[in-house]
Amino acid sequence: MLLATQNLQFPPTRDLIGLLPELILSGAFVILLMLDLVTPPSRRSLLAAVSLVALAAAMGAVVWGWFDADHARTIYAGSFAYDRFGRFVDGIVIASAALTVAISPDYLNRRGLHFGEYYALILAATVGMMLLAGAASLIVIFLGIELLSISLYILSGFAHTETRSQEAALKYLLLGGFASGILLYGMALIYGATGHTQLTLIKQSLAGSSGTDPLFLVGVGLLFVGFAFKVSAAPFHWWTPDVYQGAPTSVTTFMSVATKVAAFASLIRVFTYTFADSTDKWTGIVAFVAIISMVVGNVAALTQTSLKRMLAYSGIAQAGYILIGVAVSPDPLGTVGSLYYLAAYAATNLGAFAVITVLAGRGEDLDSYDGIRGLAYRRPYTAAAMAFFLFSLGGFPPTAGFFAKFLVFSAAIHAHAVYLALWGIGTSVISIFYYLRVGLLMYTRPKEGEETYPWARTSLAGGGVLAASAAGTLVLGILVFLIYTAAVSAQHGVLPVPQQLA
Amino acid sequence: MTIGITHLLVVSAALFCVGVFGLLSRRNAIALLMSVELMFNGVNVALVGFARFGYSNLRPLSGMAFALFVITIAAAEVAVAVALLLVAYRRHQTVQADELDELRG
Repeated sequence: MLLATQNLQFPPTRDLIGLLPELILSGAFVILLMLDLVTPPSRRSLLAAVSLVALAAAMGAVVWGWFDADHARTIYAGSFAYDRFGRFVDGIVIASAALTVAISPDYLNRRGLHFGEYYALILAATVGMMLLAGAASLIVIFLGIELLSISLYILSGFAHTETRSQEAALKYLLLGGFASGILLYGMALIYGATGHTQLTLIKQSLAGSSGTDPLFLVGVGLLFVGFAFKVSAAPFHWWTPDVYQGAPTSVTTFMSVATKVAAFASLIRVFTYTFADSTDKWTGIVAFVAIISMVVGNVAALTQTSLKRMLAYSGIAQAGYILIGVAVSPDPLGTVGSLYYLAAYAATNLGAFAVITVLAGRGEDLDSYDGIRGLAYRRPYTAAAMAFFLFSLGGFPPTAGFFAKFLVFSAAIHAHAVYLALWGIGTSVISIFYYLRVGLLMYTRPKEGEETYPWARTSLAGGGVLAASAAGTLVLGILVFLIYTAAVSAQHGVLPVPQQLA
Repeated sequence: MTIGITHLLVVSAALFCVGVFGLLSRRNAIALLMSVELMFNGVNVALVGFARFGYSNLRPLSGMAFALFVITIAAAEVAVAVALLLVAYRRHQTVQADELDELRG
């Protein structure tokens, strides 16, 4: 019966074009796996170059898609959203992947981990994130999450001879599987309550109901818990510090940024836009998780002595700030604030982790606070870049972090949720302490004859990535209207049918 | 008594809860992996149950297709998990989760 009513021809061209960036990267994934077989070990940087070309091509397709997706529509029978919202997030994800690939060859060579699968897996994870960002069906959301997660499980364990890396991979896999199970159960209940897996149809069938079906409400709760795991919001964050610390730093760079961006995009699409008619049922929980994340992340970061763990807890706190934009639904300003915050977070956090990656010497990763002591006297430019990123994470003007926080907090005030803004401002003040502590350590002159960490020489590619991240952080902090207009435009087009900005 | 959606949902919830309990109580990584699989299969029972006995306006094919996807991906996840476990076992001669605990803080 169902088969007869649907037109089951081969996907028409417009559907294929809608997936063009994903198709390019999937093709590059296969090519990379085969190229790896014929590339001699000493020339594996070639594979990085091939990945960069593919990512550049995909970025081109995304930019073209941004203009083409002016009139948002769903493709593949309503399971994938072809809209500006998805393209905006795709752009951030691809840029993060490209910058990560650019710093990787030197780092992997120093650590003795330079294998070709690395680049293929990064591309596979990128495809998963892009699918997640555009997913307009519960099935595709699940596929996207698993594609990115499984690739990242392997990447976290990429330093396969090190206990820490193995442990991080196993922890990530078991807790990630746990989170996926909860997420799936939520999806199954929502399917049972609404009868559909496509977000547009779910939204339609919710419009007629009061939204108090217990099946539906439990489903929404479980779905939110699953997403909270993936974006590492407290109290579902305990895997984050361990995995970030144990994984090779270049992998942490990528996953701390891109995973969070993609998962937040999907969270916003599902909650703010699909469950738009029952916001009063779930915004309270989101606001609660946002506050817990801000408090736990910032307070726990104070006591850390590991750079990667400190940044992990800082990432948990940032997830709390981004959640404010979801908690104020259906206010469209919240989505714009969250999108801006995601772009700012990507530029800044990628830069901070890239500094640790670029400096890591042979053998052990650069991780402890002691390792960064006196950096400014040996590597003044790198230290300046790191200080700049820390300022942005702390939310000082004129950096990206300042305007991101400003937009999210003003959205909270606009939606009459002043308490969220107050919690945000209060916890931001706490965060200044630990960011400044790291900043001051870099500018502490090492004592006479004291050994410093054997920082690696910054290569051209490494310096370029740091410069690009710093430029991104600066542009997002000064030329605010550039990304702000883009975020507004992305919010206007988001599927399923958005609330318009007044 | 005829079997209906209620029975299937009870089975599904029971399977899911056994999985969650196993994840929280077991220490052997293989047992943890099996618990994750139980959770996934609990979901499958729910999906197929809804597809067969759910509301009349429900699209049955979506639920069954979803269950197929879940089965496939669970298999992919196990493949990666077992590989990671083997690497860890080769180095530590153990797969007890509480003996692999270098990361703290």
